[in-house]
Amino acid sequence: MTVAEETGELRNPGLPGIDEFDTLIYGSPPLAYPATLSQYVIYNTPDPAYVTGRINVSAFANLGSAPWPFTNTNVPLNGHICIPRGRGPFPLAVFAHGNHNPFENSTPGYLYLCQLLASHGIIAATIDVNFLNGFNFGENDARAIVHLEHLKQFRTWDSTAAHPLHGKVALNRILIVGHSRGGEAVGHASFFNRLAAIGAVILDGSAGLGPYRFGLSAAAAIAPTDRQFIPATGPTVVPDSYFIIHGSKDSDVFTFEGYHTYERAHAVDLANPTVSDGKFKAMLWVHKANHNQFNSVWAPETPPGVAMPRPSQEQIARVHLGALALAVLLDRRKYFAVLRDHALATAWDPAGTELVSQYQDPKRIFVQHNQEGLAPPVVSLPVQGTVAADGVAAARQLSALVGGAPTTTITLRLAWNSAGTRLLLQVDPATLPAELYKAIALRVGQSNEAANTVNRDQDFTLEVSSGSRTAAFRASSLHRLLFPDPPPFGAAKIVMQTLRLPVARLVECGVDPSDLRSIALVFDRRQTGVVYTGDLQFTN
Amino acid sequence: MQLPEPPKIAAVEVVPAQPTEADRAAIAHMGLKEAKAVYVVKVRLKAKPPVTSMAWALYVGDERVSKYWEYKDGIYFVVFDPQFFVRHKGKRLRFSQNDTDFFDTDVELAPAPSVAEGNAMPLQSDVLN
Repeated sequence: MTVAEETGELRNPGLPGIDEFDTLIYGSPPLAYPATLSQYVIYNTPDPAYVTGRINVSAFANLGSAPWPFTNTNVPLNGHICIPRGRGPFPLAVFAHGNHNPFENSTPGYLYLCQLLASHGIIAATIDVNFLNGFNFGENDARAIVHLEHLKQFRTWDSTAAHPLHGKVALNRILIVGHSRGGEAVGHASFFNRLAAIGAVILDGSAGLGPYRFGLSAAAAIAPTDRQFIPATGPTVVPDSYFIIHGSKDSDVFTFEGYHTYERAHAVDLANPTVSDGKFKAMLWVHKANHNQFNSVWAPETPPGVAMPRPSQEQIARVHLGALALAVLLDRRKYFAVLRDHALATAWDPAGTELVSQYQDPKRIFVQHNQEGLAPPVVSLPVQGTVAADGVAAARQLSALVGGAPTTTITLRLAWNSAGTRLLLQVDPATLPAELYKAIALRVGQSNEAANTVNRDQDFTLEVSSGSRTAAFRASSLHRLLFPDPPPFGAAKIVMQTLRLPVARLVECGVDPSDLRSIALVFDRRQTGVVYTGDLQFTN
Repeated sequence: MQLPEPPKIAAVEVVPAQPTEADRAAIAHMGLKEAKAVYVVKVRLKAKPPVTSMAWALYVGDERVSKYWEYKDGIYFVVFDPQFFVRHKGKRLRFSQNDTDFFDTDVELAPAPSVAEGNAMPLQSDVLN
């Protein structure tokens, strides 16, 4: 099935839907904000039906030095909410900002996304976490708690007989979205959502916080940080489905920290490599997008001309977060095709946009995941087979492709100096039920090393054989392998693209997926080159 | 554009103060002896860097300070266990943005002052003013 057949006549998810909606403010008055915090006065007069309580986050955070009219023992639950008109129940999406000058209210910066989602029949809110902003560190657990407590407020409204939202919130369809440190925090929120306690803090409601255990459909991170807060159990592994979007010109979170969060999520379990936790993850790397322009009220952090125009960046956010929301919240599953292959959105994205994307489906079997160790590459169990490098230097490396922080993920570096070299994976077809899957997925990306030509797409041939039939496909026919976009500072990021080759195309070429014998990467399109591969899977 | 520069430290001061209710709960959870005082480590900065999402993690020797907060002259963190100062005696404060590249400051952790029995401890909010 082609992408077009799979998706049918999909409408641009970045365009408004047909639902009318109301926008209002909720908050926890009385709040006597001083003149220096005048942007927050709006929360002192919330809609009368949407007055909220306060929460105690003192176990997690102190407040910064801004003159907040409350302490960390009674922070408000303030926010903006867009509510579709109608009976519902409606799914819920809640956005949280990240760290920024606390004297500027960051909260309204995602109203453009809330309005989009509400027009499609989703209750969408953007929340006030500004009191945690400042020159602080390690407070992202508190941001997660605030995010979850806002969800709890929606649950309370949904269950309160006289409330306008009574029975209108689909509590098993929730998307949490965070930007920047708020993006790191949605990962912690996904983790905390399942916990009964965090340290000394019991999350059963007896001391005010929790219980949570929401039905989170996905957590989405926009240009997130990573590991600023580290739980006692180690770096957070996001347990829910996970989506990340990040810009190559990000001059705040310039190290693409969220790459590490993505790699930790839904990784192969070496003890049970065929077991999946049933969740997907997807990544979108946006060339020329910066950090701040995902928030409509933050001034760009990049000098003029460095990043794409703000309307373009907001359009990309609308299209791809819109597709995510429609897919996971409204069950319009055809929009998963946009997550699997960003090329489907080409007509909806700004002209000339260059994107790199990854997608890992819950249903997959690894042919090669490379996480066995740093020894020469192997075919990964339970698939059995051999790997032969013919003229190509194949070395597994424990290096962060995006630079900066240490990584625990191994990638395979493939370097060649003459055309016609190849990496050949021969497999025992009895151990690879390829016919049960829809596609071969290979994560691969080129570096900015000298063997690659600046600003030229890399290319090679993917050969797949069963018995006597072999089918060959140019990688570039599946997707572009872009040269890394120069970063604002620091090392260029090597961001792998997921190439998806439909199994149906193999069948069309006479290759029997139930008798698949070999997969080869043949480096015949460029005289020299260096690429990095993450994993090779059969997947849906 | 230039890579961000780490903050420069002007001075470090350690001030005993009353534990908050949340501090007491955390101290009990950690199995530490009930404390009359906690220690507020005030790190006075020559200039505060701009507020960004990327952060400068603060290390004392090789130990990352898990959380710090802003006050008018810089940043501070709170230590529950006085053994922290024994463990890190003479260790320098360092900053890192990625846990890989470190920027040493020339400033050592100050020792914890002794806490005399019977003395009333100030509130943490008071020692930060």
